[in-house]
Amino acid sequence: MNLSHFFHQPAGDRHPVPGGLALTEQERELLDRPAFSFRFQIILGFLIVFLLSVAIIIGAMVAVNHIQRRITTFQTWQRFLFDVEQARRWEKNFFLYGTNLQEALESSHEAQRLLEANLEALEAISGPQGREAIAGHLAKYHALLQDLYRLVQAGTLSSRVQDELETNLRHYGALVVEDAADVAARENQLVLSWLDLMQKVPTYYLVFHFVLMLWMTRFLSNRFMKPLNYLVKQTKRIATGDFSDVKPIRKYRDEFTTVEVAINRMLRELESRQNSLIDSHKLRAVGILTAGVAHELNNPLNNIMLTAHAILEEYQALSAEETVAMVKDIVAETDRSRAIVHNLLDFTRETESVMGPLQLGRLLEETIRLARNQVKVKRAILESLIAPDLPQVHGDRQQLKQAFLNLILNALDAIGEEGIIRVTAAPAAPGVLQVQIEDNGCGIPADALTHVFDPFYTTKPVGKGTGLGLSVVHGIVTKHGGDVTVKSAPGHTVFTVTLPCRAPVAAPLDPAGRQEGHRT
Amino acid sequence: MKAVEVLLLDDEPIVGQRLKSGLVKMGCTVETFENPVAAMARIAQKKFDIVITDVMMAEANGIQVLEAAKKLNPEVKVIIITGYATAELAREAMEKGAYDMIAKPFKPADLRGLVVRAMQELGVQVVAPTEE
Repeated sequence: MNLSHFFHQPAGDRHPVPGGLALTEQERELLDRPAFSFRFQIILGFLIVFLLSVAIIIGAMVAVNHIQRRITTFQTWQRFLFDVEQARRWEKNFFLYGTNLQEALESSHEAQRLLEANLEALEAISGPQGREAIAGHLAKYHALLQDLYRLVQAGTLSSRVQDELETNLRHYGALVVEDAADVAARENQLVLSWLDLMQKVPTYYLVFHFVLMLWMTRFLSNRFMKPLNYLVKQTKRIATGDFSDVKPIRKYRDEFTTVEVAINRMLRELESRQNSLIDSHKLRAVGILTAGVAHELNNPLNNIMLTAHAILEEYQALSAEETVAMVKDIVAETDRSRAIVHNLLDFTRETESVMGPLQLGRLLEETIRLARNQVKVKRAILESLIAPDLPQVHGDRQQLKQAFLNLILNALDAIGEEGIIRVTAAPAAPGVLQVQIEDNGCGIPADALTHVFDPFYTTKPVGKGTGLGLSVVHGIVTKHGGDVTVKSAPGHTVFTVTLPCRAPVAAPLDPAGRQEGHRT
Repeated sequence: MKAVEVLLLDDEPIVGQRLKSGLVKMGCTVETFENPVAAMARIAQKKFDIVITDVMMAEANGIQVLEAAKKLNPEVKVIIITGYATAELAREAMEKGAYDMIAKPFKPADLRGLVVRAMQELGVQVVAPTEE
């Protein structure tokens, strides 16, 4: 098997990324990890099971072969027993009828020959001492028979010698028969135990195999389920607007790596879309603000116009001091116009998203200034209660300004006659700043409350709202690692933005320490 | 002949400062205000012939001043100054009896022209307004 097929592949060959775009550094890093695909894991699992089965089958074949040899040996020992018993029968015939001594010798000799040929097998079954004993007994028996035969042939067999030989022959004959029967019985026992083993092993193996398969199923499905559950969790995180990358849970590359790379790519797309959404919505906010700015500009312009005409009409009657004072008025009013335009342009300017340390209090004041004219047009009151010396926040100035502006403009839309908007900023917990934008407007219906941060959700009449303002707020705040929540009842709606801040906050602010809010 | 009583209200101080002398030359008695609440209090005390008021102001708006002035003296000529003229505002002002409207930025002569017309309607002989 070509393992390299599973273990290492140049990035991109087996995992083409949708869209055919160039791989980023991070994607390349992921795809360059050593691969350990699920396909390979499954194949590896089944290979292990297969090899185990092969081992068991080879073992069984070896065992059958062994049993076969055992049976042959057993037959040899039966033959040996038969020869020994035959010799004894001939021996008995001789003592009873004086015949068959020759045959007894032959049988005994045959038994001896068998024993000689199977000495090793004998030692294996009875040990060296057993072997010595059997061989010794048989040799003694055979020697006695030979002595008897020699005396019979010479005709010098006395009855006393015959009795003595008979006693010895009986003694050793019985021992030899006993030995032979014992060997045969032992061999038989051995064969039976092997057969027993042959019966048990497949049963045990089946049980083992079953457990192994159960474990493998669990193991493989766990390997699938863990990353799947992980991805489900990740998508839930992404749904809250957190577009940071999905980190792979395994060190090597598998099929899920491709999914993770694809999700990360999707995340970057989402992020860039979110950013263009924020930008396009900023233009909308600028549109709303422009009307207010136009009104605000008319005041200094009018002052310049009136002062210039006053100089034109009365320059002869005016003292030098009066003329200078009027020209100074014109300069001051021009400065005022410039500040108004600058404030809007500063917000409108298209900039790359720059994250940096920010003074949230100043940022909020600038935002309130931007919305000031809208507040005036709406004849509303905007109070700000911004705690002094707030710790720094890490973020994008433009985007955070936009988020707070959206919330203020949203509040302005909600209020009616005698509307009051209150902007509060204070530490909420160590490392957390809280900004609240409250209004005494119509409130948000309970059924709409859960949807207010959804894109394109709007309760305003067609053409009045895009339904994107609050979703943009949510997007921006989430991107800054913060959270935005809303509570609403008729006459009191609070949007609460929490943002992580750099320096630890000493203690929550007590109301006495609050800066006196200014009225716009 | 009795002088024409004019109340001039704008939260921008320069407006009052620059317009007052021109109106005085036309034979008007001019009181300038920057705070609409103070101006309305004065309207309640004194009968004015002409009220010139800005619309967008923090404490109260020009429409409220218009209503207050008309309530006390239906004959009063109210000229509305606006920096942010919307059709809606114009309609509301006219419905409530405003004499005319003038949008910022305007020339002093334009406003004086309006005042002259208003004075004529009030039956006052007017010295021709000085053009620049």
